[in-house]
Amino acid sequence: MNRPNRRQAVLVYLLLAVVLIVFLTPIYIIASSSVKPTPIMFQKPPAMVFTPTFEHYTQLFATRPFAKFMLNSLIAALGSTVFSLTFGSLAAYAISRIRHKRMNDVAFWILSMRMFPPIAVVVPYYIIFKASGLLDTPLALIIIYSTANIPLTVWLMKGFFDEVPRALEEAAAIDGYGLLQIFWYVTLPLAAPGLAVSAVFCFIFSWNEFIFALMLTGSNAQTVTVAVMSFWSSDAVQWGRIMAGSFIILIPGVIFVLTCQRWLVRGLTMGSVK
Amino acid sequence: MSSIELKKVVKRYGAVDVVHGIDLEIAEGEFVVLLGPSGCGKTTTLRMIAGLEDVSDGELSIGNQVVNAVAPKDRGVAMVFQNYALYPHMTVRQNMEFALRPLRLARSETDRRINETAVLLGLDELLARRPSQLSGGQRQRVAMARALVRTPDVFLFDEPLSNLDAKLRTQVRLEIGKLHKRLGTTIVYVTHDQVEAMTLADKIVIMQDGHIEQTGSPQEVYTRPRNRFVATFIGSPAMNIVPATISDGKLVGDHVSVEIPERFKKRVQAGQKVEFGIRPTEISLLDGAEQATATARVEVTEYLGDEALLDLRIGSQELIAEVPANQCPAEDAEVRLRFNPEALHIFDAETGMSLENQAR
Repeated sequence: MNRPNRRQAVLVYLLLAVVLIVFLTPIYIIASSSVKPTPIMFQKPPAMVFTPTFEHYTQLFATRPFAKFMLNSLIAALGSTVFSLTFGSLAAYAISRIRHKRMNDVAFWILSMRMFPPIAVVVPYYIIFKASGLLDTPLALIIIYSTANIPLTVWLMKGFFDEVPRALEEAAAIDGYGLLQIFWYVTLPLAAPGLAVSAVFCFIFSWNEFIFALMLTGSNAQTVTVAVMSFWSSDAVQWGRIMAGSFIILIPGVIFVLTCQRWLVRGLTMGSVK
Repeated sequence: MSSIELKKVVKRYGAVDVVHGIDLEIAEGEFVVLLGPSGCGKTTTLRMIAGLEDVSDGELSIGNQVVNAVAPKDRGVAMVFQNYALYPHMTVRQNMEFALRPLRLARSETDRRINETAVLLGLDELLARRPSQLSGGQRQRVAMARALVRTPDVFLFDEPLSNLDAKLRTQVRLEIGKLHKRLGTTIVYVTHDQVEAMTLADKIVIMQDGHIEQTGSPQEVYTRPRNRFVATFIGSPAMNIVPATISDGKLVGDHVSVEIPERFKKRVQAGQKVEFGIRPTEISLLDGAEQATATARVEVTEYLGDEALLDLRIGSQELIAEVPANQCPAEDAEVRLRFNPEALHIFDAETGMSLENQAR
């Protein structure tokens, strides 16, 4: 009994180690390269021992308004997340609760919004935003990211709302609450894990997005992903700054996921019915 | 407290009627039990009273006000759900508080009501717990407390005991009975358990296939069932039904012949096809020379302690008799039986209606 278990455990840990190496190696390369002096950055084999330097970071912030780009990214990502969660969960609630034979079609129609390849719609978007004066504003990015995030939120949240027992809402209705109050006080709190998952997906997608940000923003609303790429010019590739910028980009996503993690608990509706 | 009145109330899903124009009057303070097999429309009827289902046709009034178009929250009703429907993200106290919040009471009044109700239902030690930390019986009491704390005009119970074990069920049943005596609130209670119905109800409403089969006190529905369905549905084990023909002042069936009780004599005519019913407790075993109603073979005996149930065969007919355990015969024995003529029920073979209650 004991022996096979042990062998299994060893195997599991070995597998985990392989997976971790695959996922963490790029991050290690980014992190270590961002503090390597430029001359030894491409040494082969890579230099493992060196005196770390923060010159790339200082240059990053000195040559470009990188803090502003960070803020732009944050506004676009958080804005789209809040927007998508608000309208996505309301739509999901309607789809989950309204009994109509065409409701599935509505749900699929919403999902189809996500199926456009970005490159195919970016030019029409450009024309629309130019005409409406939204070009190079964070609002443009919030709107575009939300068209991608809302379908995702709707589909995720619908699943979570389906799991909330109807009897709870009926009890609240008899207790004297209206539809939106029931949604806010009863249904939504019980779907909190779904909200957390949706938030993570929305935030990460918006934070990492590149193509729309590249085409639709200029100096005013530029995001970090675009800013980092701007160190790759036809004359030179400034690897040190790219690495430093990339490492900074990683941080908010990690913080956001860790923050949401405490809501990612299961069994929230336990004990409500039966 | 409020009276409730249903006039020709219909519930329709698409083209299918599940409740067929029922009429029902519930007086103020009355404890009414809707009883029937699954799918008989009793829960749908309750949900219409609560306002959780629309009334498709007819008129529903609570306290002399037509409420067809009134939202559940404005009907002055409180409901205990079959699965309790406690808010899992709130403690017991918060569950009760949440039910009170729309009433906009003063803080002190809210606290007073919660504490009073908690003491009444023995929940005062559990106020800080969440539903997931409670046993089934405790959850049930919380569900009742949440309804009670609002002091509604009408209480609705939807099979509140069906998720409890047998012992707890008896105990909570008693508590509900006491609660009604104490508060005097109008109660509509749905169950498929006839013991609950018989013990709790002032009035039982027996339903089948979306129709009301009979309305009456527990005694009435037991002793004067209006039709064969009610007769066999109420009472356990069920009433025996024997097909028979009227001949020479007797009910003659397969290997059975019973004198027609006096009260039926004028209501039947020779040659009429009927069915007569006899409860298992009204069949006794004969050991002397008295004239027997029938002779039967004992197929199976079931010992219950004080009583024994006998599965009897008379000709092609199977009957159940309940006799004192000390009289229990051996299996396969031939026994002579007497049916208590005063306890006989006679039903029309075609309509199933009791011949006794034809006037109603």
